[in-house]
Amino acid sequence: MRHALSALAIATGLIAPAIHAEPLKVAIIESLSGSQTSTGRMYSSAARYVLEQMNEQGGYNGEPIQIKDYDNGGNTSGAASQFRQAVADGAHVIIQGSSSAVAGQITEDVRKHNIRNKGNEIVYLNMGGEALELRGDKCHFHAFHLTTTAPMRVGPLVKVMAQEGDLGDRVYSINQAYSWGQDMEQAIKSYADTYDYEVVETVLHEVNRIQDFAPFVAQIQAAKPSSVITGNWSNDLLLLMKAVGDSGLDVTFGTTFLDQVGNVANAGKMALGHYVAHPGNAELNKDPQDAEDYKAFSGHYPVYVEPGTINGIRLFTEALRANDFKGGDIDVNRIALAMEQARLETDIGPVSIRREDHQAIMPVVVSRVEQGVKYPADGTDMGFKPIQVVSPEDAIYPVQESCRMRRPD
Amino acid sequence: MEFLIVSTMNGVIYGMLLFMVSAGLTLIFGMMGVLNFAHASFYMLGAYFAYTLSGLFNFWVGLIVAPLLVGLIGVLVERYMLRRIHRFGHAHELLLTFGLAFIFEELVKLFYGNYPVNYRMPDSLNFAAFNVFGADYPFYRIFIGLIAVAMFALLLILLTRTRIGLVVRGAERLPQMAQALGHNVPLVFMGVFGTGAALAGLGGAVAGAFFPTNPNMALELGVIVFVVVVVGGLGSLAGSLIASVLIGVFSSFAVGLHWTLAGALSWVGLGGWAEGVGGLLTLPLSSISGTVPFLLMLIVLLVRPAGLMGSKN
Repeated sequence: MRHALSALAIATGLIAPAIHAEPLKVAIIESLSGSQTSTGRMYSSAARYVLEQMNEQGGYNGEPIQIKDYDNGGNTSGAASQFRQAVADGAHVIIQGSSSAVAGQITEDVRKHNIRNKGNEIVYLNMGGEALELRGDKCHFHAFHLTTTAPMRVGPLVKVMAQEGDLGDRVYSINQAYSWGQDMEQAIKSYADTYDYEVVETVLHEVNRIQDFAPFVAQIQAAKPSSVITGNWSNDLLLLMKAVGDSGLDVTFGTTFLDQVGNVANAGKMALGHYVAHPGNAELNKDPQDAEDYKAFSGHYPVYVEPGTINGIRLFTEALRANDFKGGDIDVNRIALAMEQARLETDIGPVSIRREDHQAIMPVVVSRVEQGVKYPADGTDMGFKPIQVVSPEDAIYPVQESCRMRRPD
Repeated sequence: MEFLIVSTMNGVIYGMLLFMVSAGLTLIFGMMGVLNFAHASFYMLGAYFAYTLSGLFNFWVGLIVAPLLVGLIGVLVERYMLRRIHRFGHAHELLLTFGLAFIFEELVKLFYGNYPVNYRMPDSLNFAAFNVFGADYPFYRIFIGLIAVAMFALLLILLTRTRIGLVVRGAERLPQMAQALGHNVPLVFMGVFGTGAALAGLGGAVAGAFFPTNPNMALELGVIVFVVVVVGGLGSLAGSLIASVLIGVFSSFAVGLHWTLAGALSWVGLGGWAEGVGGLLTLPLSSISGTVPFLLMLIVLLVRPAGLMGSKN
C-alpha cells in the first residue's frame, strides 16, 4: 500500500510540470568541497538569497525558479563533469564564482554547447572569475561577467590611497604567478603615471604553496616601498601581511581580498589602516534591513564576495523581469539580450552590462580597516570602513581588442 | 651580506618547523614501514586542539595538552585501524591513511568551519627578539626553532641512550626476535605511532599560532613534508633534519635570486636569443621558489636514490 502511494506521489510529481509552465532552472556549479569551499559556499548562498527572494514573490514564468547546487570540487575536470550533469538536468542558467580557471572551463563549455544546441542555449553568469582573458579572447555572447577585474580594482585602490596620502611614491607589487597575478601586476604598472608613483619592484610567486613569507619581506624591506599592492588571496595574503607586520615594516597594504572571512581576526591589530577595493560594503546600504535579511538567510552579514554577488544576481533578475514568456517556453537568448539592457540601481550606484564584452560596469568601494565600524569583521572590534565609492564610469577600463563576440541573428 | 644573513636565518627556522612535522613521519616509516598520508592531518589537529584549549585555558596549556590529545588519536588509529589491516600489506595501509586525511579535513571543517580560526600567540611571546638591518625579527620564530631543537635532542637521547629506545630499535630491526625475547612489539608500534602523531601535533600547536590555522593547512604542508622525508632518506631522523634545513634555506634564498635560464645562457653568448624566446627561459627563480624543494628531491633521487642519509639502497 505504501509503495502504491509513493508511486502515485511520484507519478503526480512527474505530471505536474508538464501541465504547468516551464520553470527556470538555475545551476550553481561551485566549489563546495576542497580547498576553496569557504568562497564557493558564499557565492552559492548569495545567489540563492536573491533567487529565493524572487520565488517568494511568485517565482518566474508562473513557476518557482529551480535552484540546484553542483559541487565542482574546486577543479576544472570536476566543473566539466558537473556542467554535463547540469545540461542533462535541463539548466538554463549557470552561476559560478570561485576560481578563474574553473570559470575558463565553464565559459568554454557553455560556448561549445550553445554552438551545438541552437534553441537550447545556456547563459553563464560569472560571479567571481576576474581574469581579463575571460572578457577578451574567451568572450562570447552567452557569458556575463558580473564581477570586477584587476584594472577595476587597482585603479580605484590607488586613487583613494593617493587621496588619503597613504600610497606614497614607491609602490611594491607582489602577486601570484598566474593569470590573475599577471593582470594585477599589469594594472599596477599602468596606473603609475596617472597617480604619480614608481613601481619599485614586481614579484610573482607561486599560488598557495609558500608557507613562509619572511624571505619575501626581506626583499620588500630592501626595496624601501611606501606601499605594497597585492592581489593575493587566502593564505598568500594572510601570511604576507603577518610576515610584514612581524618585521615592524611601516608600509600600507593595498589589497583586493583583505575582506575574506578570517583575515582580520588572524592579522589582529596588524590589519588596521590597510585598504581593500571591493564590489560592495554592507555599511553603505541605505536600508539596514537588507543586511539583517541576509543574516536571517545565511547566518551572517554580507561580506567578501557576497555584496557583489547579490548585486550581480539582482541585475540578472531585472533581465528576467524584462521578458514575460507567459508560461510558455523560456528563450534564453531573449534573457541574454535583456541582460545587455538591464540596469540595477544600487545604494552605491548603477550596475549595468557593457554590450561589447559583457563586462559589468559597476561601482567599486575602497575601504580601510578601522575600529568602530558598523559591521565588525570576524568577531573583532575592527572592520571595513568605506572611504570612497568610485563611480562605475571611473572604475571601468577599455574593452579588450581580443574580444570578438558573435551575436545571435 | 644582509641578504645572506637574513635569508639563512629565515631558512633555518622554517627548516626547523618542517623538521618538527617530518620527524614523526620518518620515525613511523622507519619503525613500522607505514607511509602515513594522514601525518599532516595530525599537524592540523594539533593546531586546532591548541586553538580550542588556548581559548578555554591559556596558550601554554594548549601547547602541552594538544600534542598529547593528538598522540592519543594516533594511538587509537594504530590500535583499531592500522593493526587490523597490517597483514594485508602496505597498499592497504597507504589507502587507509589517505582516506583518514580526507576524513580529518572534513571533520575539522564540520566543527570549526571553513575559515581560518583566530589562533594567535600570547602577547608575552609577541615581541621583536632583535633588529636585523632595520627590520624586527619576531621572537616567535626563534621560539619555533628552539622547540624544534629541544625536540630533536630529546628524541635522540630517548632512542639512543635509554632502554625504551633500545627496545624500539630492536623491534624495528628484528620484530620477531624482539617478540621472542618477551617484548610486546605491537605495544611498541602503537607507542611509536602515537609519539609520531604527537610530534606532528606539537608542530601544529606551535606553528598554528604563527601561520594561520585553517582547514587547508594539512594539504599545504603535507606534500612538502613528504619531500623532506624522501630527501633525507626514509626512516632517518638525522637525514630529515638535514633535509628540512636544506629545503628551508634553499627556498629562502631562491626568493631573493632573480636568476633566469636566459642569464645563464648569456655566459655562452646566447642571452639575447634566450630573451627573445622568453617563456621558461626568462622565468626568474624567485617566481618558482616553491618548486625548489621538488627540484632538490629530483636531484637527490637521481644521485642517491635512498636519500641523503637513507641506509637501504
